[in-house]
Amino acid sequence: MAYVATRGGEHAIEQAERLFRSDLGKISAARVSEIKTSLPYLVDRVMGEASLYEPDLAALALAQAGGELSEAVLLLRAYRTTQPRIGYAKTIEQADLFTVRRISAAFKDIPGGQILGPTLDYSHRLLRVEVLTGEDYVPEPVIASETPAPAEQPSLTAWQKAQGLIADHATDDVAPENIPDLTREPLLFPAPRAHKLQSLARAETGGVLALGYSTMRGYGDIHPTVNELRLAEAPVRLRHPNGTVFNAGRVRVSQAEIITKSAKLELGFSATFGWNEVKVISAATLDRASAQDAPHAASTEEFVLYHTEPVESSGFCIHFKLPHYVTFQSSLDAIRRVKADNVENGKAPEPVNEKEPAL
Amino acid sequence: MGAADQNTITRQKPRLMLAEPMLTMRGIVRNFGDVQALRGVDVTVYPGEVLGIVGESGSGKSTLLRMMNLEDTPEAGSYHLSLPDHQDSNLFSLDRFQRRMLRARHIGIVYQNPHIGLLMGHTSSGNVAERLLVAGNRNFAELRERARLSLAASEFPVERMDATPRELSGGMQQRVQLAKAIALEPAVLLLDEPTTGLDVSVQALVLDTLKRLQRDRAITMVLVSHDLGVIRTMADRVVVMRRGEVVEQGLADQIFQDPQHPYTQQLVHAKL
Amino acid sequence: MSLKDLTKPWTAFNYGFLDESAKRELRRKMLKAIAIPGYQVPYASREVPMARGWGTGGLQVTLTLLKPDAVVKVIDQGADDSVNAVSIRKFFNRVGGSAETEDTSQATIIQSRHRVPEEKLRADQVLVLQVPNPEPLRPVQPDMSIAREMHGDADYGQLWLVLYEQLVKSGRIMQGTEYPSLVNGRYVITPSPIPRWDVKKLHQAEHLTFLSAGREKRIYAIPPFTNVEPLVFDDVPYRVEDHQDKTCYRTDVTGFFMNELPQEDGSSLYELSDSNFGIKHLKNSQGETLTIGETWYKNGRMD
Repeated sequence: MAYVATRGGEHAIEQAERLFRSDLGKISAARVSEIKTSLPYLVDRVMGEASLYEPDLAALALAQAGGELSEAVLLLRAYRTTQPRIGYAKTIEQADLFTVRRISAAFKDIPGGQILGPTLDYSHRLLRVEVLTGEDYVPEPVIASETPAPAEQPSLTAWQKAQGLIADHATDDVAPENIPDLTREPLLFPAPRAHKLQSLARAETGGVLALGYSTMRGYGDIHPTVNELRLAEAPVRLRHPNGTVFNAGRVRVSQAEIITKSAKLELGFSATFGWNEVKVISAATLDRASAQDAPHAASTEEFVLYHTEPVESSGFCIHFKLPHYVTFQSSLDAIRRVKADNVENGKAPEPVNEKEPAL
Repeated sequence: MGAADQNTITRQKPRLMLAEPMLTMRGIVRNFGDVQALRGVDVTVYPGEVLGIVGESGSGKSTLLRMMNLEDTPEAGSYHLSLPDHQDSNLFSLDRFQRRMLRARHIGIVYQNPHIGLLMGHTSSGNVAERLLVAGNRNFAELRERARLSLAASEFPVERMDATPRELSGGMQQRVQLAKAIALEPAVLLLDEPTTGLDVSVQALVLDTLKRLQRDRAITMVLVSHDLGVIRTMADRVVVMRRGEVVEQGLADQIFQDPQHPYTQQLVHAKL
Repeated sequence: MSLKDLTKPWTAFNYGFLDESAKRELRRKMLKAIAIPGYQVPYASREVPMARGWGTGGLQVTLTLLKPDAVVKVIDQGADDSVNAVSIRKFFNRVGGSAETEDTSQATIIQSRHRVPEEKLRADQVLVLQVPNPEPLRPVQPDMSIAREMHGDADYGQLWLVLYEQLVKSGRIMQGTEYPSLVNGRYVITPSPIPRWDVKKLHQAEHLTFLSAGREKRIYAIPPFTNVEPLVFDDVPYRVEDHQDKTCYRTDVTGFFMNELPQEDGSSLYELSDSNFGIKHLKNSQGETLTIGETWYKNGRMD
């Protein structure tokens, strides 16, 4: 068979996949469990970007992808697609969250108190190299506070609104099943606020950081102050068919409100699954920035939301590895004709502006 | 006499009263929030004349010009152009698509800022050709020729017709805008401060071109400017605007030599 | 009757991978796309177990059309054995139990990246083209919201201007693939990165074509017997690639779209880009009697 030279594709791709998988070795429940317990912040990040809260599956995705983050997110998103929607959780207020960390940079102290919770913010970033030579690192025990902070903390903005510092926008009374859902409807612009916040919630962490940082640095008119940053566990409350509302469990969430000082104080908001402070601060900044009239990329809703989508951006990036020889052939043809024209007209060959095939 | 008329000093009718008006606007009201940008403005433009609209910034003259280009819709008022296919319709009732087509075929505009009027990265000939393309011309050789002729009529050096506006001087950019505006022989040519910001010598050359075009082709023009010198050079008739109202209108010579309204007097004497 | 009678036994994935609500949404959007030829219908575009940009738009359409008696052909750059085409075809078989084929005439659904087969498609076949960028206006207007308004207004002056400028600067139309084309006299589409050679096959075709962009979340269609006219000036004719006189070195067949294979001595060999078409010719030359369908191009010409 003469076409044999270009065949063998099937064999080749199978072996290439096997090579990748054999490098990673056996994946056991123990490995998945180890990832889940030792790398919770990584698991959180993957769950946030996948918009699926399931630590075991996220850890499995990380194990299968060998830690390749965009692959892990894609695995989890693809699984998510197949799941039917069986119900809508009740809306919860900030005061309902089991809050473990809540800080504000806007005030020295706030009603309910500044609660540091778990953080590396004030740590010295030193590698414990002794671990590599066999000396285990055992964290110092935590000394419990004499007056434990209450698990439920009031919302700082509620206080600010009561003081008339922040405008209180009316809330739409929308039934949960009627909230616009980005995963089931196309994103169009101007985007409903629900779509915008959902899109930011599942945005790629590095992407929102890069764009958020650009506005913080000066591309745009946003000088964010962290009004409130929270790490918490949110109760998932469902209504049983018999009518009773019950707690189905808790999910870890982060949320950030940033405040900017223009004519009046304006809030930017972001929340996501898992504990990921860099993401929510950046995303809340972008939420605010994209409502501004500034000629910068990060001030444009469409630009921000399209380009921080993890699955789309990474997929498009790697698709350039696919063969493009038909498009190339088609362009070659036009270039050759122009060359021939030039020879015919006795013109020196000019560099030709080829119309880029878009892919 | 209506209330609006009492505030407006209107004198002799223009010398070219033979034809029906080319452009008629009646009772134009436009509010931006609490600001009344236009308070019931009436404007008439006759075929082949140059109507100058003068006034300080904030007088509403640019808002009015944008209305004429159908870029904006007033709260009240009507707009008619003497066109065979739009004889009786109020142009403000056209939808966005119809407006776009009407603009493309019958209205030419030159903006003060060439970035608004031109695609800076495309060739100058292409900028003119786009006008013809929108109007449905699909013959490449004809597009080239008509773009060339239009640029030549604007006294643009046609050997540079395939340079991009970005590579050209400010005066040349205005000539490309002009070529684009007249490519389809518009019913009315709108000029929004077309020479503001140019060197005085360049300004004079561009105005010469406009005058020559007007003389040779009898193009109906509406020229908005805060510069009385420009208006005096160009206009047959002048409308003086202040705070969203027409305070005086008449033949250019009358306005400049014998202004009646105190505001016009102030303007003219400040200039002289 | 108990609850158990009403429910299906649990399975890891639904038939055809996508859940039924996703398929229903897509079916509605596909019907809308057929109803408004060339109009880009936004759709939610679910994640599928393949990376975006790797045919996920085409995949979702095919998955929605899939039924157990479907016969699916998948090609990439004209070839059935291209690695990604193989991977996609295997996936359809895995989640839909559909039969696989490489023979164009046997297929009920043909999913393709960058080519339209050389044999004429029939009314009982559906062509699904994978689309990386559905927006012909992207080069002149990257903002999708404004581009949507421009389509609404049939505001295509700037697209024509791009062609004008190519002629001015190079003396030739330089558009290679994804040649902008007017569908049904109303909407300009990008026909996906198929060569100019293939665009003519979409005009007044017997078959239905879906074009689906998974990453960009847009689907559009060319129903049977619909006009598809490349944007051309009256005096500058549309030119397909200069392949009409090239001869495939493997099959000795002339007059179809070719892959160019550069040789060390500086010359080039050519082979048929449509691999199944080539294989059928080869097999017949070796004594088999496979039916080769009617082709769009005859002697390198179509008209």
